[in-house]
Amino acid sequence: MTQSETSRMRGLLLVAGREIRVRGLSKSNLVSLVVTVVIVGVLAALPTLIGGDEGDAKVGLAGDNAPAMQAQLEAMGGFDITVYGSADEAERAVEDETVEAAVADGSLYSLDGVANDVETKIDAAWQAASVQTNLADAGLSDQEITQALTVRPLEFVTLESGGVNSTLDYFTGLIISIIMFMMLMTPVQYIAMGVVEEKSSRIVEILLTSLKPWQLLGGKVIGLGVISLVNLIAMVAVGLGVSAATGMLSDLPPGTASAAVSTIGWWLMAFALFGTLAGGVGSLVSRQEESGSVLTPLIMSLTLSYLGAIFLLNAPTSTFAEVLSIIPPFSGIAMPTRMAIAEVPAWQIGLSGVLLALAAAGALALGSQLYKRSVLYTGSRMKLTEALRRAA
Amino acid sequence: MLEIKDLHKRFGDTAALDGVSLSAAPGEVVGFVGANGAGKTTTMRIAMGVLAADSGEIVYNGSPLGVEQRRRFGYMPSERGLYPKMKTGEQVAYFGELHGMTRAEARRSAAELLEQLNLTERMGDFVQDLSLGNQQRVQLAVSLVHDPEVLILDEPFSGLDPIAVDVMGTALKDRAAAGAPVIFSSHQLDLVERLCDSVVIIGNGRIIAAGGVEELKAKEVKHLRISVETPEDLTARLPGTVTRDGDDYLIEDGDDQEALRIAAAAGRVTRFAYDQPTIAEIFREAVTR
Repeated sequence: MTQSETSRMRGLLLVAGREIRVRGLSKSNLVSLVVTVVIVGVLAALPTLIGGDEGDAKVGLAGDNAPAMQAQLEAMGGFDITVYGSADEAERAVEDETVEAAVADGSLYSLDGVANDVETKIDAAWQAASVQTNLADAGLSDQEITQALTVRPLEFVTLESGGVNSTLDYFTGLIISIIMFMMLMTPVQYIAMGVVEEKSSRIVEILLTSLKPWQLLGGKVIGLGVISLVNLIAMVAVGLGVSAATGMLSDLPPGTASAAVSTIGWWLMAFALFGTLAGGVGSLVSRQEESGSVLTPLIMSLTLSYLGAIFLLNAPTSTFAEVLSIIPPFSGIAMPTRMAIAEVPAWQIGLSGVLLALAAAGALALGSQLYKRSVLYTGSRMKLTEALRRAA
Repeated sequence: MLEIKDLHKRFGDTAALDGVSLSAAPGEVVGFVGANGAGKTTTMRIAMGVLAADSGEIVYNGSPLGVEQRRRFGYMPSERGLYPKMKTGEQVAYFGELHGMTRAEARRSAAELLEQLNLTERMGDFVQDLSLGNQQRVQLAVSLVHDPEVLILDEPFSGLDPIAVDVMGTALKDRAAAGAPVIFSSHQLDLVERLCDSVVIIGNGRIIAAGGVEELKAKEVKHLRISVETPEDLTARLPGTVTRDGDDYLIEDGDDQEALRIAAAAGRVTRFAYDQPTIAEIFREAVTR
């Protein structure tokens, strides 16, 4: 690197560093990060808090069906079974809370109802046990009964390749689209606000005596990108950490880690696209109140990308989904979402990536040109066409 | 030596600058004076590279001014600006770093400057929490933090209280004494007269007068003033066109030595001097011409 290249890089990094110090370490950002992390942590721990750790449901059994019920419930698992001599004994055990529920002579005893999943299982066990008892009463042998009760579970056959994998994949896709949306929306608005702040406070005039416009815009985009990335990593780390601590991690789909990594790649490109454009259009106005109007097209296309991704979750194999996940800027959110929920041909991923990268490069050029031409212009809002016509 | 050579700049149909040239030698304080809209700010912005000229050039020490050299300049724009939500000390040091100082140098320099400006206790406060006067001082610190080689200040005195004006004036003189060329614009012509070695007057995008303060004053001499202690009326005896200003005689187009002899013969001469115009008077004269 030559000396002037070093100083150019230094200028860029100084601007990025200031954004990180002033915005990233600001009280409001730290507080919101802590709040988000706590929410993510609680959400990750919620399944365990609600059900997982309570252990087996304690159930009492009595009456004729008790042995058959016991066999059924033990086969299902998740029950701590006590067999009582009579229905009265079983009822008393429920009353003094030795067991949560008891089944005796066709009645389900409980203090104030039973949890849904427990009730469903007991109900299923009751029906199976009753059928078994009835069949035995009808004179069938144990072997015949077992044969009669053995049912092969339904096999799922998907005719189109690349169909929806599972509910868990749906939620992975949903979470990816939500996080992508948030991680683009917030920094994009901050970039525009920062540009307008520098312009409205006229500090930009001093800044531009020692910095080039691209350093000022680039540094801002990089700085806010780093803040967002750190926030994302903190969220993911806490989410995965809590899942690991509560033993839920093994329940996540196997592709989760690689999905997280590729999502960051898609985010980087989409962020470069939206971030530089936000800086460019932000420089068209001189007052914070006006920034909303110039940002609208960007916010709209971000929101549409998000809504498109949500729609795509429900129809991942449709032509709409394929088109949406290839065309920038929508592909930024749509493709990682689609990749989470369905098999995507490699050529589509490649094409989408190349198009998004090209669009990001174009946005970088357009955004910095807009910025360069209009950042020192103060007064009423500058028209886009005027900014593009002006000599830099 | 900073030379601004033959700048032309148009905004739409208006010619903002029409061949503006001025220069500042090392150690020279140049006052840049003109009515609102005359072209002062445009000239300074072009000199600082935040605006491009249609034609003309900025030459520093004999060669065209480059980006790296310009980073060692100190600039205060007419529209003041600071980051409202950044701490004072941090902000001044940040600008030092932008101008190429290391972090340690920038911090040290910021601390020193803020101490000179009596802002040491406010270093940890957000700029938006400072009074307007203190913000102006921070603005000055921002333009001086990197120990600039050249100072270009647009209306540095506007909005300052008398104490801050003194601090600013001393700062400018100090920089000039250290060998920096200093150019500043101002509407406070008494300050220009007191601080500047030379003055450049601009009107409608053209330089209408320029030169050393004394030189300009001498060129615009008005008349000879004589005070003499005598009961006698000398109006008829003194040479040239004689008028009275109180007890003084004002003489135009007369032989000064002859006037002195006549006055001395009549009584004790307590004052014998050419009245010099103030810079304010020269300015008014120049812009109405």
